[in-house]
Amino acid sequence: MKAIWSLLSLLTLALAQGVPADWPDPFKMQFQRLQPSVIRPTEAQLSNGLKVLLVEDRALPFVSGRVYLRAGAIFEPDDKVGLSGIFSSVLRTGGAGERTPDQVDEILETLAATVSVSTDNLFTSVAFNTLTENLDQVLQIWADVLVRPRFAQERLDLEKGRALEAIRRRNDQPTQIAVREFVRRINEGHPAGRISSAASIQSITRDDLVAFHQRFFKPNGAVLAITGDFNTQEIVARLERALRGWQPGPVNLPTFAPPQPKPGIYFLQKETNQSVIYMGNPTVTAFAPGYSELDLASRVLGDGFNSRLFLEVRTKRGLAYATGGAQTQGFGWPGFIYGASISRVEKTAEVLELMLAQFRDLRERPVSQEELELFRNSILNAEVFRFTSKQAVAERIARTQMLGLPPDYYEQYIRQIQAITPADLQRAVQQYVRPEQFVIVVVGDKRQFDRPLQSLGSVVEVPLE
Amino acid sequence: MGPLIWLLLLTLLLPGATAQQLREQIRKYTLESGLRVLMVPDKTAPVIHFNLMFDVGGVDEAPGLGGIAHMVEHMAFKGTPSIGSLDWPKEKAALEAIDKARAELDRAIANRASQEEIQRLTARFNQAREEAQKLALPNALDQLFTNNGAQGLNASTGYDRTDYRVSLPSNRLELYLRVYADVMLNAVFRSFYEEVDVVLEERRQIAENDPNGALREVFLRTAFQVHPYGRPLIGSREEIQGYRVDKAMEFWKTHYHPNRAVLVLVGDVEPERDIQLIRRYMGVIPKGPDRPNLNIPAEPPQTAERRVSIEYNAQPSLLIGFHKPTYPNREAYVMDVIDSILTEGRTSRLFRRLVIQEQAALNVSASSASPGFRYPNLFVISAQPRAPRTTQDLERLIYEELERLKNELVSPQELQKVRNQTRAAYLRVLQGGPGLAQTLAFYELFFGGYQRIFEEEAIYNTITAEEIQQVARKYFTPQNRTVATLITRGGSR
Repeated sequence: MKAIWSLLSLLTLALAQGVPADWPDPFKMQFQRLQPSVIRPTEAQLSNGLKVLLVEDRALPFVSGRVYLRAGAIFEPDDKVGLSGIFSSVLRTGGAGERTPDQVDEILETLAATVSVSTDNLFTSVAFNTLTENLDQVLQIWADVLVRPRFAQERLDLEKGRALEAIRRRNDQPTQIAVREFVRRINEGHPAGRISSAASIQSITRDDLVAFHQRFFKPNGAVLAITGDFNTQEIVARLERALRGWQPGPVNLPTFAPPQPKPGIYFLQKETNQSVIYMGNPTVTAFAPGYSELDLASRVLGDGFNSRLFLEVRTKRGLAYATGGAQTQGFGWPGFIYGASISRVEKTAEVLELMLAQFRDLRERPVSQEELELFRNSILNAEVFRFTSKQAVAERIARTQMLGLPPDYYEQYIRQIQAITPADLQRAVQQYVRPEQFVIVVVGDKRQFDRPLQSLGSVVEVPLE
Repeated sequence: MGPLIWLLLLTLLLPGATAQQLREQIRKYTLESGLRVLMVPDKTAPVIHFNLMFDVGGVDEAPGLGGIAHMVEHMAFKGTPSIGSLDWPKEKAALEAIDKARAELDRAIANRASQEEIQRLTARFNQAREEAQKLALPNALDQLFTNNGAQGLNASTGYDRTDYRVSLPSNRLELYLRVYADVMLNAVFRSFYEEVDVVLEERRQIAENDPNGALREVFLRTAFQVHPYGRPLIGSREEIQGYRVDKAMEFWKTHYHPNRAVLVLVGDVEPERDIQLIRRYMGVIPKGPDRPNLNIPAEPPQTAERRVSIEYNAQPSLLIGFHKPTYPNREAYVMDVIDSILTEGRTSRLFRRLVIQEQAALNVSASSASPGFRYPNLFVISAQPRAPRTTQDLERLIYEELERLKNELVSPQELQKVRNQTRAAYLRVLQGGPGLAQTLAFYELFFGGYQRIFEEEAIYNTITAEEIQQVARKYFTPQNRTVATLITRGGSR
């Protein structure tokens, strides 16, 4: 009798909730954690020392490759900030080997292939993507761009002119201003905290590009990731031919002291009806002790709809559309933990304090086990997505090797994530997250603020430049 | 939010064997409710990319309810009675109390009640919202997915369509179905007025404090004076402030039915097995009415050039639009080819002329089907001048290049280059992932079946230099043109 009664009540409940009685409670559905089908590239080394990671994939008639070189923005001279950006543009567009700039563009676009150059703080990479049928031609152009660039003067002038226009436009959007200023302030004292200026761009010469290329573009220490429709042995021979003449040599990279940011509120005046707020402090380098705990803590703080910033600032109070935070991956110098919100100008101080309160709370109280499990499960269950693209896997391994991470760094990280307790997390936050030491950047119209920023701490007014 | 991705995908060509393979792998099922389900097996990784797309968007909104499709897209993340409620009967009552308090407050404002009375009713309204919040588990739908390793949980609203996207480990198929079938059956619009504030922030961010967004809004309003493509997709500030739960729910119940949707799964699926589970959940959702006749007014032919400018705290910028037909009209495909000739890559005509040769622009780009594709739309060229050059300089150079298209036939080599580019772009889409799911949903919903994607090669390959010339002459005329300029406040164009 009792059993029937409870069955009936269950049925009533289910119908009251508008779904058939035999549908499971979604919160009680259990699934196994899937193991990713790991992709392991074949490794080879060319005679000049270039390391190559290869994954054959005959599904589509494409070949993709990307070579990483130790040449990034932090190695630019102080008076030439912006050089690596100009360098990577003109490397691609300034002609290569026997071809003028126009010839390179024309042949690539006729073949519907791409050769592209990107750069960040640590690395410059030269990539290609082509239909298999055009592989030889495209490989040759890619090799020419990499090894035999011409840096045509008129294309250098063009890219400098465009970079100057981009500087002219860099205060058009409040978020762009805030991100630039925050990255600059949190990396103060380190080359990553520099920003380009009209003067630094104007000073760049063709000789600077040639010198940058000669200094950093060496096959030894570089790693090429290549995937797609090829035969591994055959492509290694083709690479040898295409890169003939590329000589190894010493690459001496300078080292830098870590950033020494100056805590405080940095304010930039902009007429706008929303304020952009960024705040945080440097913590640890990626995968160093404390990193896994901070990574998890930062997800509780700012990763997605169920993070505290999102729930408190957006869902409960409707104070922002964009809000969140993260722990960044620092390699060579510490990354930082940060939070950000874009909120209506008349709530600037309220949101700023609300954000600070979320950081403080993570220090003062252990997170609930439930909250921890949510973000832990998110990391563990999402591991399968690390292997959805062969090219992405090969590129990730290439970067990992160049950064000197152990091959099993991610497995170690996963093991740590599995073991973290609320107490571990709180300990790491207490050790590394110091709201009273935060760098805080606010971009907005101070005439409309709910309270002067001075009521929240010492304020440095930074002119827009 | 905007349908920008499509614009890239629409210029496609067929790559022989690969496309044939893909075509043979796609499985299509139609449920009794009219829901179409497409599955594409791809065993690269044990994941599934989902795209659930409805043929509903900004054009379906009644005047005064601008942006309600976008608001409803946000509300579909708020859960159901069994997803997100701590005690449904109590919460239901609390939500009704909010509606009642809101209605009383609205009446008081309409009747010009005393300040005191309005304050009292506002406090009661806020109190009711707080009570309801206590009975809900916020963002429970996201919690379910996050817990299970979801990636890319998001949605977007366009003028013509709305889609919901997520990628999950493949053994979570049943979870996906349990959640989305429930949402389609029983969506609860909880925390509605909190979300109104969120959407107002979104509007400030993308349309008011972003110079490109601000310029685009006046540009579309000027180009479309009658058709809803001229309204801001996110709604005006006044419209957003005026949203009420009942109106939003009415919009949801009018439009979001299985017979107006396509569900695409790309990834680790076994169609014959998985369709059973899909039927078990999605099959419960009843068929709804067809798309109502909304009497969407056609945009009358433009008879004279329209010009508009805004003063803004930013550097100058230019948008030029020409009215044109949409697919499947052959001229729309010709416009795709023209788009490639003008702005695809560094050797394209406008990039080479404006950016490289004349050094007059920082950048130039175009879109051959903006801001939607279901109704006649615009060919849009966007450019940013390089000081000291001005938007007037750019206009002159762009018109010279358009005249060249009208006066000289495109060479066979140039035409071949464009064909090669579109073919490669198409192959890249076929590599799978969320992009393929979205593309297939789009073709199934709007192009009379996903197979259309494999039939466009014939169209593009037969487009001739003469046709390009004819279409350019027909549409790139001054009287068919809308020009919007952002002028630096207190400065230059």
